[in-house]
Amino acid sequence: MGTALTYTEAELVLGLKSRSEKHFGYLYDHYSPALFGIALKVINDENVAGDVLQEIFLKIWRSIERYDTDKGRLFTWMVNIARNTAIDTLRSKAHKQGQKVQELSSNSMGTEQFAVHQAVDQIGLTKVIEQLNKEQRIIIDLAYYKGCTQDEISKILDIPLGTVKTRMRNAIIQLRTILKQL
Amino acid sequence: MGASRYISSGLIEAYVSRLASPQEEQELEMAIDQYPEIAIAVEDCRLGMEHYIMLQSVTPPTVVKQNLIRIIADEEAGKLIGEATEETQIIEDTPAGKMYVSSSWRWAAAAAILLLLGSLLLNFIYFSRYSDYKVKYEALLTTNNTLASEQNVYRTRIEEMEHSLEIVKDPSMQMVKMPGTKSFPSLLATVYWNKASKEVFLMANNLPQPATGKQYQLWAIVNGKPVDMGVFDIGTDTAAILRKMKSVDNADMFAITLENKGGSPVPTMDQMYVAGKAS
Repeated sequence: MGTALTYTEAELVLGLKSRSEKHFGYLYDHYSPALFGIALKVINDENVAGDVLQEIFLKIWRSIERYDTDKGRLFTWMVNIARNTAIDTLRSKAHKQGQKVQELSSNSMGTEQFAVHQAVDQIGLTKVIEQLNKEQRIIIDLAYYKGCTQDEISKILDIPLGTVKTRMRNAIIQLRTILKQL
Repeated sequence: MGASRYISSGLIEAYVSRLASPQEEQELEMAIDQYPEIAIAVEDCRLGMEHYIMLQSVTPPTVVKQNLIRIIADEEAGKLIGEATEETQIIEDTPAGKMYVSSSWRWAAAAAILLLLGSLLLNFIYFSRYSDYKVKYEALLTTNNTLASEQNVYRTRIEEMEHSLEIVKDPSMQMVKMPGTKSFPSLLATVYWNKASKEVFLMANNLPQPATGKQYQLWAIVNGKPVDMGVFDIGTDTAAILRKMKSVDNADMFAITLENKGGSPVPTMDQMYVAGKAS
């Protein structure tokens, strides 16, 4: 994150737990692109992903009392909320039915709302995508962003069930190697 | 499983990429608590995954933040208002509101039950009345029929009596009283003889009901010889009605004998009940 932090994570959590709207604004400004990225990767629909992002931040705000600093970093906790919320939406019938309506009405929604969309670190992402092979990218996306099980991935990629975990391990080792070079 | 074997098994990567099954997750979480090196390996892997996630960041539409700020401000304002007026609002307002809703339903339910009971009661009452009226109606109908048939009977009787009266009113009519003979002194019958038309009518004023197989027979004595004038029965109202018998030109006397059914060519003299001179 390029922006200079004005709050430490502990200060941020404390501020949120004391219901500070200023701290919430700071949290949103710093983490909404990452969490929107998750929602967008899961949902593949900007309108729905926007609604999902709103839900994600409301969940964070409403359940911050339950966040325990000893059990992990704040970002890990938020990423879990984001992924679960987005995948729940993806699996819900309402989303599947709504998708068609969204496609029809997206033209009349105005474009300036989405004009600001941009990858935060386009160069980094491009490098990763270039260097991870397609199969490695797909296996991470299926497991992490689509919530597929080992069984489902075995069928989708047409590889033996026992190979799924090995393939995933290799993908992540490769990913980490690329990330270290950035 | 030792710590190093966890690290090389692929389970850590599966766990971080959310590929691990719930059992595998549970297993690895126990291993994290047990082996600090596994905890470090998991955290390293997770940082890599999170870095990958960060790389895919996309700036969301500004409207999301605006909505969130508004929603959160509203919620907090609502909480403040709620806290300030909690004791009065929640204790008085909310339960009262609930009471209002539930009591209105209770009233509606009570009213519905009352209406149902009322309806059932009315059904019962009206059915009872209906049954009652039906019985009364049938009784009235029977009475009416009885009256109608009685009226017919009376009308017939009146007509007969009127007819009898017409016969008697005729000026050429001669009345011949036939008192009981010595054997039957209390009996009486009357012959009305129209000397112009020669018609003969009989009124059985007081004659007993004959035994079965027997019939009364009227005789006219013409020039000392009995002439058959016909047989007759005794009905319930014969005493008031004239019945037409055979006609006769001339007669000195009339008499009634009891004969076998159908009559007899000659009168049985000891069975003569009444007799009277035509004078």
